[in-house]
Amino acid sequence: MSTIAPQFRLSRFIGSLFDLIFWVILIFSLVGLPIVFIVLFYIKLPVINNQLMTPYLAMTWMADPSRTLPIVKNFMHTTLFRVMAFPGFGFAALLAAATIFVERKFLAKMQLRVGPLYCGKIEGILQLMGDGFKLMSKEIIIPAKADKPIFWMGPLLFVGAAGAFVSLIPVAPGWVVANPNVGLLAVFAVIGFFPIIAVLTAWAANSKWTFIGGLRALHQMVAFEIPLILSLLGVVILSGSLNLSQIVESQEHFWWIAFLPIGAIVFFITILAELERVPFDLPEAESEIVAGWLTEFSGMMYGLIQLGTYLKLYAFAGLFTVLFLGGWNGPMVWPPFPQDIITQGITIGPVTAKFPGLPLFDQQMLNGTLWFVIKTVGVILLILLPRGVFPRVRIDMILHTGWYKLIGLAFINIFIALGLLYAGVLGPGGLLH
Amino acid sequence: MVDSVFLALSVLTIGSAIVALEIRSLIYGSIALMLTLSGVAGFFLLLDAPFVAMFQLSVYVGSIAVLILFTVMLVRRELIFNKVEDKRRRYAGIGLMIVLMLGIGTIIIGSGLKTMDTNSPAVDYKKIGEDFLTYYSPALIVMALILASSIIGAMTLARREDVIDDQRAD
Repeated sequence: MSTIAPQFRLSRFIGSLFDLIFWVILIFSLVGLPIVFIVLFYIKLPVINNQLMTPYLAMTWMADPSRTLPIVKNFMHTTLFRVMAFPGFGFAALLAAATIFVERKFLAKMQLRVGPLYCGKIEGILQLMGDGFKLMSKEIIIPAKADKPIFWMGPLLFVGAAGAFVSLIPVAPGWVVANPNVGLLAVFAVIGFFPIIAVLTAWAANSKWTFIGGLRALHQMVAFEIPLILSLLGVVILSGSLNLSQIVESQEHFWWIAFLPIGAIVFFITILAELERVPFDLPEAESEIVAGWLTEFSGMMYGLIQLGTYLKLYAFAGLFTVLFLGGWNGPMVWPPFPQDIITQGITIGPVTAKFPGLPLFDQQMLNGTLWFVIKTVGVILLILLPRGVFPRVRIDMILHTGWYKLIGLAFINIFIALGLLYAGVLGPGGLLH
Repeated sequence: MVDSVFLALSVLTIGSAIVALEIRSLIYGSIALMLTLSGVAGFFLLLDAPFVAMFQLSVYVGSIAVLILFTVMLVRRELIFNKVEDKRRRYAGIGLMIVLMLGIGTIIIGSGLKTMDTNSPAVDYKKIGEDFLTYYSPALIVMALILASSIIGAMTLARREDVIDDQRAD
């Protein structure tokens, strides 16, 4: 008879549990509590219900429901929440994860396959979670002759750069992590880091596949960065601002894609190239060079690269929405929060529960988020679509498209924008503004 | 706060510049050069000039450093660099740098730049653009002509007649 643990003794198991609890309590009281109090010393505490919220009162939110919602609401307006949850990482990572699953199902349906099917019973809905656990539990293998510091830094830098890109995208009025006056230039600066990371990690892995893939990535990204920047100048000329939130506000009545369709098309093609998606997926051409510059990554390192790639995809789709599709602008379809609940509370039978602090989000923010997500998901689907349709193009065709045709079209777009501006139709002080 | 950031940036910039000069590995040298250029971008951010900082990042780190990486990776090192181990050259270089720094320092201390107004509002980049297109427009035109002619010159130099282009996409 085979058992999983032949030396198993219940008494030892319980003893080890007590041991563990003892060490946790000891370390927490000696190290954790001092750290908590030192940190609390520097945090600026909010005033809730005309009362400064001390750490002792903060714990009462579980017992006192009149305090719960104000505390939650207060937390939602901190920078930490913005970075971690809503317009920042959590929201983007959720959309990115959904994108991975939708991509697999969408492509499968397009090619008359079924795609992920068994995991989670219904249409393989839990496939992604399974893949995530698989990646986390796999061993991270580093090639023997790899340049280890750069190889380790690669995935982290990639996710970091993608996160920096995500933080610049405004989702709803006032809901953006970083809102610099030169937001679009910051986007250009962040995009410039991706080819460096790709080529450095490709070199560090010390393999022919990765190096060829990295050089291809570098060629392609550098060639398409210039038309990308040029195609967005039309929007800057017409809206008169580099701030992404102000660019969205300038599209209150009409979207810039109506006047600058050439710029939008050029930008869309450059998005495909910058994201290394089909038909421009030469850096990861799986039928020629294994997986391109990602060949030597294993386990969670590959997982991080994957996360970064899809965060970047979300950020590019969001940027397209912000610049050409009017961002959060759209008709007010979100129902207003019922006034009865704010003034009278909810009555269920004999019990009336009052919730001070409602509503949590204002109507405009929810409506803006809804429109932004609808448009962004549409753009993401358009980015995914070519993968089911087109074959890969040759490297000389890519470079020819990037350096000749797209730059030319981008200049035509700039001249259209300048013509509209000097004719007095659009732009600051124009007829339609 | 600003002082500590300034000090950290100075250490980063100068330290990585020295590393870029001294380290043996060319790749690490170019990474250190990138850090130096990013540090300079950080100085521009501290000086309330985010416009220049972003251009510093996207042009110097995003393009020129990439170009250097490209060259380092594609060309065999023995072909472009031959090692010259000479102690006297190094000392001469350090001496030259000290003389230069002392000269610039005495000029700066001797000039009228002794007080600085740190509370003045930052110059808006739109104002700079306006000035460029109005008062400084001749300089802008001259710069544009120089850039255009250098691009044309580069294309002329890079053009090769001997390549058979039957593989071209068009």
